[in-house]
Amino acid sequence: MGRIYDWIDRRFGIKPPHKNFLQRPVPQNLSYFYCLGGIAFTLYLAVLLTGMLLSFYYVPSEKEAFQSVVRITREVHFGALIRGLHKWSANLLILFVMLHTVRVFAQRAYRPPRELNWVAGTFILVLAFASGFTGYLLPWDQKAYWATVVGTGMAATVPFIGNHLLYLVRGGPEVDGATLVRFYSIHVIWIPLVTSLLLWAHFHMVKRQGISGGL
Amino acid sequence: MGRFYQDTRRRFLKRLVKGGFTLLASLFGITAAGFLYPSEVKKRTTKFFYLLNEDDLPKEGVKKMELAYEHEQRAMVLRVFVVCNAGETFALSSVCSHLGCLVDWSRSKKRFLCPCHGGSYDIEGRVLSGPPPLPLTRIPLKMEGEKVFAGVKV
Repeated sequence: MGRIYDWIDRRFGIKPPHKNFLQRPVPQNLSYFYCLGGIAFTLYLAVLLTGMLLSFYYVPSEKEAFQSVVRITREVHFGALIRGLHKWSANLLILFVMLHTVRVFAQRAYRPPRELNWVAGTFILVLAFASGFTGYLLPWDQKAYWATVVGTGMAATVPFIGNHLLYLVRGGPEVDGATLVRFYSIHVIWIPLVTSLLLWAHFHMVKRQGISGGL
Repeated sequence: MGRFYQDTRRRFLKRLVKGGFTLLASLFGITAAGFLYPSEVKKRTTKFFYLLNEDDLPKEGVKKMELAYEHEQRAMVLRVFVVCNAGETFALSSVCSHLGCLVDWSRSKKRFLCPCHGGSYDIEGRVLSGPPPLPLTRIPLKMEGEKVFAGVKV
């Protein structure tokens, strides 16, 4: 394995510029609180991989969505396991992203020169919420449907443009097949794509600016 | 003492981490392969469907038929040839053994001709010329009283 990787890297060259970063001594005063971000990233990978597997069987249509989820849970080999991993990793992801945010906030690690990384992190937090919200509709059962009716209904309370916002979010006046496909697209294409890019930026800035020494 | 023990410790930890990741990746790979493998693969069996009455069988030559049947609530049509040659009656599939185009019987040339790549078969379905690697598939026939049934793999 190592030899194959070295052969590739002699041409690709990702190791040499990272050598100093990967082999630097870690600051003395770190605690387990510094692991929260890493845990969140690990969960993100788990959600991403299990989600990519689920997409082989899930059918984003008004008539077939619920049946396809039932099929995944009952018939597909390891279906319940993969779906369970997706669900629980997603829930824990939200939890650990929030804990990570609290740690950075409490230690005031957002101060210069790390303001931009705080902004990137905030976007990732919001995207994690959005992913949870859109993913919740996809099983297309009663709970999912009514949660989305209530959740998207909040858009209508915005003054003046509320109704237009509601139509934009739902793809029509009601939560129906159009909403399902819309949420599906956001959940499986837009959010993973943008989140992955933002995570790259997030880690790039950690690499450039180093770990904050805390208070 | 430091240096030696530090080195072995580092090597051990490195191996532990690498081994852990390899184990995790292999477990995920196996699970993913199982997940993607279809949970039920139906065995295809030959089922017989009504084709025509005994009276309508050709006395000599080739008769083009459409075998209509229903499979899992879908209407299917299979074009077959009922052939009587030298006193023997049998049925041939019209699907060319080369790339699956539908062959047709040419009365003047006394051959089955494929329109796509010029394959030709004799009245028994044997290859005469062109790219087909195999003869035309024989379709089993079954008589029950006055009725003739044709067997299709479904």
